Amino acid sequence: MTYLITLLVYGAVDVIACLGLSQQFGVAGVTNFGFIIFQAAGAYVAAILALPSDAANGGFQHYIGGWNLPFPLPWIGAAVAGAVLALPFTFLVGRRLRGDFAAVGLLVTAVLLNLLVMNYVPLFNGDAGLAIVPAPLQSQVMTTTSTAYQWEFTAGVIILAGAVYWLVRRITESPYGRTLRAMRDNDKVADSLGKNLLSLRTGMLVLGGAIAGLSGGVLVSFISVWSPAAWTYAETIVLFAAVIIGGRGNHLGAVLGAIIVPVGFEESTRLITNANPSLPPNLLPSLQWVAIGLLIGLFLWLRPQGIVPERRRVIALPVGSGERGPVERPVAAGAPGNEIILAAADLSRDFGGVHAVSGVSLAVRRGTVTGLIGPNGAGKSTLLSLLAGTERASAGQVFYQGADVTGRPAFRRARLGLVRTFQLASEFRRLTVMENLLSAAPGNRGETLRGAFAGRRYWRDDEAAAVAKAAGILERFGLEELANSYAGDLSGGQRRLVEIMRALMTGPAMLLLDEPMAGVHPELARRIGNLLVELARDGMTVLMVEHELAIMDEFCDPVIVMAEGSVLAEGTMAQLRERSEVVEAYLVG
Amino acid sequence: MSAEHPAEPVERGPDAARPAEPVEQPTRPAEPVERPTARGPDAARPAVLGEPIRAESVTAGYGGDPVIRGISVRADRGQVVSIVGPNGSGKSTLLKSMVGVVRVSGGRVLLGDRAITNLAPEEVARAGVGYVPQVDDVFGPLTVRENLEMGGYLLARRDVAARVEHVFSVFPRLGTMARRPAGKLSGGERKMLAMGRVLMLEPAVFLLDEPTANLAPAIARSLLGEHVRRLAERGAAVLIVEQRAKAVLAISDRTYVLGGGELRMEGTPAELSGNPEFVDSFLGGGRDRALPSSET
Amino acid sequence: MTVFLASVGFGLITAAVLAVAAVGFTLQFAVTDVLNLAFAAVMTAGAFTAYWINQLGVSIWLALVVAMAACAVLSVVLNLVVYSPFQRRGSSPITIVIVSLGMALIIEFGIQAIVGGVNVSYAMSQGHTFHLGGLILTTVQLVIIAISVVVMAAAHIMLRYSKLGKAMRATAANRSLARNCGIRTDRVITATWALTGALCGLAGTVFAIDIGSFGPTSTDLFVVLILAAVFLGGPGHAYGAMLGALLIGVATEVSAAYIQPDYKYVIAFAALLAMLAVRPSGLFGARA
Repeated sequence: MTYLITLLVYGAVDVIACLGLSQQFGVAGVTNFGFIIFQAAGAYVAAILALPSDAANGGFQHYIGGWNLPFPLPWIGAAVAGAVLALPFTFLVGRRLRGDFAAVGLLVTAVLLNLLVMNYVPLFNGDAGLAIVPAPLQSQVMTTTSTAYQWEFTAGVIILAGAVYWLVRRITESPYGRTLRAMRDNDKVADSLGKNLLSLRTGMLVLGGAIAGLSGGVLVSFISVWSPAAWTYAETIVLFAAVIIGGRGNHLGAVLGAIIVPVGFEESTRLITNANPSLPPNLLPSLQWVAIGLLIGLFLWLRPQGIVPERRRVIALPVGSGERGPVERPVAAGAPGNEIILAAADLSRDFGGVHAVSGVSLAVRRGTVTGLIGPNGAGKSTLLSLLAGTERASAGQVFYQGADVTGRPAFRRARLGLVRTFQLASEFRRLTVMENLLSAAPGNRGETLRGAFAGRRYWRDDEAAAVAKAAGILERFGLEELANSYAGDLSGGQRRLVEIMRALMTGPAMLLLDEPMAGVHPELARRIGNLLVELARDGMTVLMVEHELAIMDEFCDPVIVMAEGSVLAEGTMAQLRERSEVVEAYLVG
Repeated sequence: MSAEHPAEPVERGPDAARPAEPVEQPTRPAEPVERPTARGPDAARPAVLGEPIRAESVTAGYGGDPVIRGISVRADRGQVVSIVGPNGSGKSTLLKSMVGVVRVSGGRVLLGDRAITNLAPEEVARAGVGYVPQVDDVFGPLTVRENLEMGGYLLARRDVAARVEHVFSVFPRLGTMARRPAGKLSGGERKMLAMGRVLMLEPAVFLLDEPTANLAPAIARSLLGEHVRRLAERGAAVLIVEQRAKAVLAISDRTYVLGGGELRMEGTPAELSGNPEFVDSFLGGGRDRALPSSET
Repeated sequence: MTVFLASVGFGLITAAVLAVAAVGFTLQFAVTDVLNLAFAAVMTAGAFTAYWINQLGVSIWLALVVAMAACAVLSVVLNLVVYSPFQRRGSSPITIVIVSLGMALIIEFGIQAIVGGVNVSYAMSQGHTFHLGGLILTTVQLVIIAISVVVMAAAHIMLRYSKLGKAMRATAANRSLARNCGIRTDRVITATWALTGALCGLAGTVFAIDIGSFGPTSTDLFVVLILAAVFLGGPGHAYGAMLGALLIGVATEVSAAYIQPDYKYVIAFAALLAMLAVRPSGLFGARA
């Protein structure tokens, strides 16, 4: 009976930990190889909050504090400890560092902290760890060894695991969760859509840390000892194995993985050991690790999506969506006219000695569809990146709506309504077309961690409005039937459309489009063109790079010609065609 | 067409005879000033014999819809054959499909009478095709000399140094910066190095992808007029993709115009220059052609 | 002063071992694009291979050569059977890192399953003790330093002057262009796995000689030093790894002399995190 209780409690603790990791790694794509240290920290803090001061038990073990706090404060403290410990590591997960390098940093951190704790007696009692940690409510109940108490504890822990599941699900299925998945699929594009990667990843480190800390706290109060030797970095790999095998991005998969891997392996080892007591003591645990390594490799090769794959979120289109205003009027702060919305002054960008853009000055008037053409290598895409903020200028300034935005990163410019698209495919592959669009809707109350906590009732109106808007755009582009397909499964042309639609979802004041019609069927290209002209009439501004000059002829006025990193001429296509330097640029280069 | 060329060695040196069928070359400078220094082991090797390279109805792409469809081009020895067309017309993809970088899904690529369709890029290089990509065309951290040595990777060890000296004699500027990392070169120097790298093997066929992109017009002209033309004069077949249509026409024996992934026109420079559709194919104008299915 | 000099001596030995491992690791990463966290496990495999040969009565220095060969083979097999298929499928770098951790578990605990949890030592003599102006080193320690110096020099000569070395650097810098030069990059990559695998076996064996008594999990902490040295010099940068190894090796041992020895890894840890935070491309910046 005690054995069953132990199994259930360990299982619940592993489930909690795996849910935290599933949220970090599976949903948000933050690979935290140091996960175990957050669990260890939570366990230690729970222990010292529950223990009386170290003098009280004869001073045979050393630890900080010893506050003897009543349940549930130690568990709450454990979660807080995990969360706080995450803060110093947030610098690893910003925009600059490659994901695998950050993972290595966290791995090394885990190894080192474990080493430090094992050796520092005054604070952590060294590798002896802590013992006789009081169980919850120990003072209230007569004995903590009674079967009734043990069962109540077990039930409590299972309920807690259920609560954690409910919590991570609530977050994942919110607009905030969608943003996390978008970041996981393509962080650069999420950045350009105005998502703050640093804050999102910090949120995930903190939340995952809190959940890990809680699981540690629960465990330590059940087994009543805290031993640093039990928290080696290899334990993190077990949890990763559980999430990968169960199915990353699906919390049910994480639960299943927790039951199969840590629990299942413990179980099978025990059964085999009991059956063959003569086996060498180290053999089975060793083989267990070997098996985990094999499982990781085999699953990543044969079934990378796991046993329970991430499920597709089907969102029903609102009935009669066609009657709503299909595309919302953009934020037109001023009437179309001669007002300059975007200007570049002497803008330059060098790539190791090559002047991709040199001394470009230009002005784009509000309400125009301005074209940007030029031979290959003229610097068009680089210029677009400089204007959008995805590349930093080597020199010069960018002015948007009268303000100098040169120093602002892409996501800040995007929030001001200056939104770009990319030349290469940049859809969020494992989001549906509808979700791709929704991920770009601004101002959704559910898009913050707090909003996600607050629950569906808090953000459902915003979500419904966004869905209606997205449905309108989908209808405009004639892609309603693809709304619930994964964007990664679409054809090249359809993906370009997803990108343009997504950019429109932000209700931009100005769109920067990089070859939006490349690979799009001519008929569709024409429809996009007409739509852009229509949007411009309503006050939106478009600056687009395009190589098919017939498109420029039909939709763009004015057209700016670039060659060799500089602006060569500006005018209507008809005018430009008369100018010899433009003809020269195209024919001579 | 067939592969049995008589082994007519093409003399190397300042007085090398021009191959047959001379072409009008208004922008070409006077005779190149290169002095061959590569004697000794190098001189003993047979002179270059360009084999014709052909693409026959090649369809290729990056998975999904093909980028180029049913394109046939050929370059014979001693010829500069250019491929022009607007951005996105599939010029680079065509070259990449011929050297095994992009997968060919239909048609075939022939070097002489040997099919090299979908061979790995290194095997295409070993078959005697020198390819200069448009971007990432040098080894940034390696020095200029090391870049050239990599170009001559297939040469016998004892021939490499002489060949490097030969390339330095063709591009004297490179010789002055032999120990500089390629990543620190200017755009023009970098392109010279990229060209010098393929010169190392003296391949029978050169495929050049926009060698003048990002170069100042004067440097571009000299690169095309002196160096590219010269490759053909030595008997190699040169297939060159260019954005600078006029400049490349001046050195071409034959030109193909691509548009929208298909072959639109072909002919000699003289034929094309006189054709108004040729200019239109670059600067639009004919919108009905560009957006065919929309106006009915 | 004597404490300082003695710790510098320890530092030099640590740096010598570390440099061999770090150069192997960083070259592996530069040329093959695999951040192989199973490297330390392969080192352990090398150390035990040498032990088994040594147990047969063979000199440890001969056993070391066998260990190098064994690790070369093991690394080539790892690539052919595991990493290369994943790369051909287009798996993300992070997936390959996770796979490499899985491989680390298989190798490390596979060894543990065979040898059990006990620590072993080589049958060898430490030789004479030399006093070199305050530094106290045994013959064996001097040999380790000499091996490392020779390996560094050989690595330098190979990368700068040999055809294979230059092809390795070319492959690291631009694999597709290397292929356009006619370089069979698959073979260069296989050769890189063999060479860096041999370095790994060498590092594992001299590491085991250096620490005297070792077990299947002895390299668990050493991997932190390797990563610190590699990232300090810039991942993929061979000379950076040499410099990083020297800095980390000496800094950890000197700090161990003045603070508690158990905290010596903190220096490596701080260096690694600082580099990741401030300059992820390392002291040298570019690759290869």
